[in-house]
Amino acid sequence: MTNALRAAAAILAAVWLVAAVPAEAKDKVKVGFIGPLTGGVSANGLGGRNSADLAVRLRNADAKAKYEYELVVLDDECKPNVAVQVATKMAAEKDIIAAATHYCSSTAIATVDVYHKFGLPVVVWGAVLPDITYRNKYPEVHRVNGTMINQNETNAELLTKLGYRTFAVIHDTTDYGKGHNEYFSAALAQRGGKIVGTFGVGADQQDFTAELTQIKALNPEVIYFGGLTPIGVRIRAQMDKLGIKAVFDGTSGIVSDAYIQGLGPLAEGTLAFREGAPVEKLPGGKFFMEKYTAQKYDNPPEAYGAFAFAAMDLILDSIEKVGPDRRKVIDDLANVKNRDSIIGKITFDDHGQNTVSVITKYVVQDGKWVVWEDSEYASGRRKLPRQK
Amino acid sequence: MDIGLLAQYIMNGLMAGMMYALVAVGFTLFFGVLDVIQFAHGDVLTVGAFTALITFVGVHAAGVHSGSIALLAMLIVAIFATAGLGMLIARYLVLPLRAAPALNTLLITLMLGTVLRESVRLFYPQGANPKPFPALLPANSINFGNFNLRLDNAIMLAAGTAVIVGVEFLLNRTKLGLAIRAVAQDEETARTMGINFVAIVLVAFAIGSGLAAFAGVMDGFYYNEINFGMGLYLGIIGFAAAIIGGLGSIYGAILGGFLFAALQTIGTVALPFASAYKDVFAFAVIIIFMAWRPTGLIREKISERV
Amino acid sequence: MLPGVIALALASLYLSALLAVEKQPLIIGLLALAVIVALGAYWMGWLASVSRSFADRENVLGTMAIVAAFAMAAYFHDDHFVLLLIVTVLLYTVATLGLNIQFGYSGVLNFAGASFFGIGAYTSAVLNARTTVPTLVVLPIGGIIAALIGSLLLLPVLRTRGHYAALVTIAFALLLKAFLEVNDVLGGPQGLQVKGMTVGGWSFNDSIELGKIELSFYMSYFVLSLALLVAAFILVRRLERSWIGLNLDALRLDETAASCFGLDVARWKITAFTLGNFLIGIAGALFGMVGGFVAPNNYTFADSLILVSILLLGGIGNPWGLAVATVIVIVVPEKLQTIQEYRFLLYAVMVIAVLLFRPEGLLPRPLRSYFPGWRP
Repeated sequence: MTNALRAAAAILAAVWLVAAVPAEAKDKVKVGFIGPLTGGVSANGLGGRNSADLAVRLRNADAKAKYEYELVVLDDECKPNVAVQVATKMAAEKDIIAAATHYCSSTAIATVDVYHKFGLPVVVWGAVLPDITYRNKYPEVHRVNGTMINQNETNAELLTKLGYRTFAVIHDTTDYGKGHNEYFSAALAQRGGKIVGTFGVGADQQDFTAELTQIKALNPEVIYFGGLTPIGVRIRAQMDKLGIKAVFDGTSGIVSDAYIQGLGPLAEGTLAFREGAPVEKLPGGKFFMEKYTAQKYDNPPEAYGAFAFAAMDLILDSIEKVGPDRRKVIDDLANVKNRDSIIGKITFDDHGQNTVSVITKYVVQDGKWVVWEDSEYASGRRKLPRQK
Repeated sequence: MDIGLLAQYIMNGLMAGMMYALVAVGFTLFFGVLDVIQFAHGDVLTVGAFTALITFVGVHAAGVHSGSIALLAMLIVAIFATAGLGMLIARYLVLPLRAAPALNTLLITLMLGTVLRESVRLFYPQGANPKPFPALLPANSINFGNFNLRLDNAIMLAAGTAVIVGVEFLLNRTKLGLAIRAVAQDEETARTMGINFVAIVLVAFAIGSGLAAFAGVMDGFYYNEINFGMGLYLGIIGFAAAIIGGLGSIYGAILGGFLFAALQTIGTVALPFASAYKDVFAFAVIIIFMAWRPTGLIREKISERV
Repeated sequence: MLPGVIALALASLYLSALLAVEKQPLIIGLLALAVIVALGAYWMGWLASVSRSFADRENVLGTMAIVAAFAMAAYFHDDHFVLLLIVTVLLYTVATLGLNIQFGYSGVLNFAGASFFGIGAYTSAVLNARTTVPTLVVLPIGGIIAALIGSLLLLPVLRTRGHYAALVTIAFALLLKAFLEVNDVLGGPQGLQVKGMTVGGWSFNDSIELGKIELSFYMSYFVLSLALLVAAFILVRRLERSWIGLNLDALRLDETAASCFGLDVARWKITAFTLGNFLIGIAGALFGMVGGFVAPNNYTFADSLILVSILLLGGIGNPWGLAVATVIVIVVPEKLQTIQEYRFLLYAVMVIAVLLFRPEGLLPRPLRSYFPGWRP
C-alpha cells in the first residue's frame, strides 16, 4: 500500500471509531448484588438477582437517568466464609458504589464488619436477623425487609390461639436459627406454651433420625423449625418416616416453591410466616409482577424478590441524587424518610432498619402457599394434625 | 431407656451400617486384588445414585409410570453404568500405575474423586442443590410404641443382606470367586496358573463399583434425597470401616461397617444434646484405634522386601 | 546468575500485568502466552539454566525477589484486592512450605494441612478477642498450638504407613471440621470475627496515608507476610542443607535402610511433623487476622487437598516450585472469572495430569547441592 492509501485508511478508521461512540455517552456506574446463587436456597438468590437486575434494566431504559448502570453479581453460597470473601472482593473494588446484599442471615451478619471496614453502603434485601442492623451502629448497613421478631410473635400467637400447648424446637446452629429460637421461645413463653425440647442441627445436616427419635419420645403437638428450606425438607420427610404426627411450623426460611417441590404431598399443612404482604397486595406489586414476567427470567422472584427490587431501586435513586460517591450515598441513605417504593413507604430508623409491620401467615394447601386467612384451615373445613 | 426407643436407634444403626458395609466391601475388594486404595470409590457411588435418578426421569418421560419397572430399571442401569465406570478407572488410571509408588495411586484416585464430584455438581442441571429422590418402595409402617418399623427400610435391609450374602457366595463358591481370591493372594502364581490377571482385576472393580451403586440407590431411598457430596462422606467412612476390619478381608469389611455404625449410634445415645458430635466421637475412636492396631482388627499379613 | 535475574524480572513484570488487567480476553491471552513461553523455555533448555543459576546464587536472587515483591506492592499500593491476593499467595506459600517439610522432605503424609491452618487462625481469633496478648506474639502461639494439637496424632502417625497413615490425617481433618461446627464456644458454623493486628499501638487495619499517597491497609500485612515468608524460606532451605535435612531425606527414601544406619525414625518423623505444623499454624494465625473472619467451612478436607495439589504441582521438595504453584492455584482462578466455578475440577485434573506425566512437578527438586556455587 502506498503512503497516501495508508493515511486514508487511518483517517477512515479514526472517523469510524469516533462516529461509533454514541452522541452523549452516559457515565457508567457499577452497583453490586450478592445472594446465594448456588446451593440449597439458590431459588431465592436467583429470584433476588433477577429482581435487582430488573431494577437496573428499567433504570437504564429510562432516558431521564443520569448514569448508565452495570450490575456486578457475586454468589455467597449461603456460607459465611464465602460471603466474607465475596464481600471483601466487592467492597475492595472502588468502582462499585453500593450493593444490595444477602438473603441468608448467617452470611449477612458475618459481612457487616467488612462493609464497615471498606465503607461500602449496602441495603440488605432478605436476611431477617435483627442483629444485622442492631448489633452495631454502622452507617453503611441498611435493610428494607423486616426482622424476625414480629414474625415469631405472630407465629406464637396463632398457634396458641389454635389450642396447641406442647412444642419441640429444631433450629439450625447458625445465628439465623439461633435467633429464631431465641425470639420464638420468648414469644411462646409469654403466651403460656411449653417447649418440651430444643435441638440444634447443622445447616447442611443430612440425617435427623437421632433428633426426631428423641422428639417422638417427647410427643409434642407442634414441631417449630427455625432454619432454611433444604433441611426443612429433610426434617419434614424424616418426620414422616418415623411416624411422627405433629404440626410442622416454620419461618420465612421455608416460604419458597422449592419446599413444596421437595416434599410433594407431604408439604400439606405446613405453616410459615413472613414479613410483608404477598406480592399481589403490595402497593407496587402488580407493576413489579408485570415487568418481571415481561423479562422472561428462568426463575420466579420467590418470597423476597420484591424487596430486592426495592433495595436496588433505593440505591439507584440515591446515586442519581448525589452522584457515584460512596460517602455521599451513605449520607443520603441515612436520611431515608417515607420514600416511595413498590413495597410501600420506606423509612430507615437510626440503625438503618425499615419497619415492615405486616406479617403474612401462610399454610401449604394443595401444593401451594396460601395465605392463612384465605385457606380452608382457617375456615375449619380442613384440620391441621392434632387440631382440637 | 424405653425399649421402643432403643429398637428405633438400633434400626437406624443397622441401616447406616448396611450402607457403610457395602462401600467397605468395595474398598477391600480393590485392595485385595491390586493392593491399591481407590479413593474415588465414594464419588463413584454418587455417580451411581445420580445415574439412577436420570434413569427414573427418563423412564417417566418415556411414559412408563409403574413403580416396580422404574425401580428395576434404575437399579439395573445404575449398577451396570457404575460397574463400567469402575472398569474404566481400573483400566486407565490404576493398572498403568502399578509400578509407581503406592502414594501416586492414592493421590490420583483422591483427585479423581474430586473430578467426579465436581463434574456432577457442575454438569448435572443445578447439581449443587440436593435433589429429591423418588420414593418407590412401599411406605406402610407398623408402630410398636416408640418404634416405627417401616416396610421400605425392612425391604432395603433384607435386600442389602441378600446382596452381601450373594457377594460372599460369589467369592467363596464360584470359579470366578476362586480366581479373584487367587489373584488377591499371589498375582504371579495366579498368572502362572492361567488366570487372566487384567480380566479378573476389571471384574473385581466392576463388582465393587456395582455394590457402591446399590448403596447409593439405597441411600437415595432412605433419605429421599441425593446430593453431590454424599459420596465423600460415605467413602471416608467406608474406607475407615474397611481398615478397621482389616484390608483384604470381606468379613472384616462388613464387620467394620456395622462397627462404625454402632460407634455412631453409641455416640448419639450417649450425647443426646448434639447428634453432630457422633461424627467427632466416631472419628476420634478411629484415630485412637489406628494407634493401637495400625493394620486393622483382622491383621493384614505384610512382608516387606528390603 | 544472569538467566536467574532475567527470569525473575520477567516473572515480576508478568505477574504485575496479570494482576492489573481486568478484561477477560486479555487475561486468557496472557495465560496462553505464559504457557507458550514456559514450554518454549523448557524445550530450549533455558529453564535448566535458570534453575542452575537459582541454585548457585540463591542468596542474591532471593534478595532481588524481595525487592521485586516490594516494587509490585508499591505499584498496587492503593488496590485493596490485588494486595489481598498477594498476601494470600505469600501466606499459602508459608503453609505449603510447612507441608513440604512433612511431605517433601520426610515423606510423612498430612492430609489435614488446612485443619492446622485453621487451628492457627482460630487461635488468633480467640486470643485477640479474649486476652491482651500482643498480636505479634499471637502468631508463634498459633504455631505452637497447631503443633501441640498435631502431637495428638503423633502416635497413630508413627505407627502407620502408606494408606493407613492417610486415613489418620483425613479422619482428623473431618473430625476437626465437625468439632468446630458443633462447638458453640468457638462460634459454631457462624465463625468468629478476628481483630486485626496491632503493633505498638498502631492498628494494621487502618489505612496509611503518606502525604498525598493513600496506601491500602493491606500494605502492613504485606510487609509482615513477606517477612514471614522470607524467614520460613530461609529456615526451610537451611534445614534442607543441614544434617537434619539429610536425615529427613534418608527417612523418606527408605525407612528400613535408614533405621539400619542408626537413624531414629520416630524422632525425625516427630520433628518433621511438629515443625511443619508449627509453620502452618503461624501462617494460619496471620491469615486469620488479614481476613478478619474464621469459620469451619474455610478449613475443610477439600482445602487440605488444595494445599497438597500445590505441593504436587510445584514439585515436591522445591520451595521455588511451591511459590510458582501457589501463584497458579490462587491467582489464576481469581482473575479468570469464567473458570471460578470450575476451579476445583481444574485443579484435580491438573494434578492427575502431573501425576501421570510428570510426577516430579513443574520445578522438580534438584540434586542436593552441598556448597552452593562451589565449583571444583
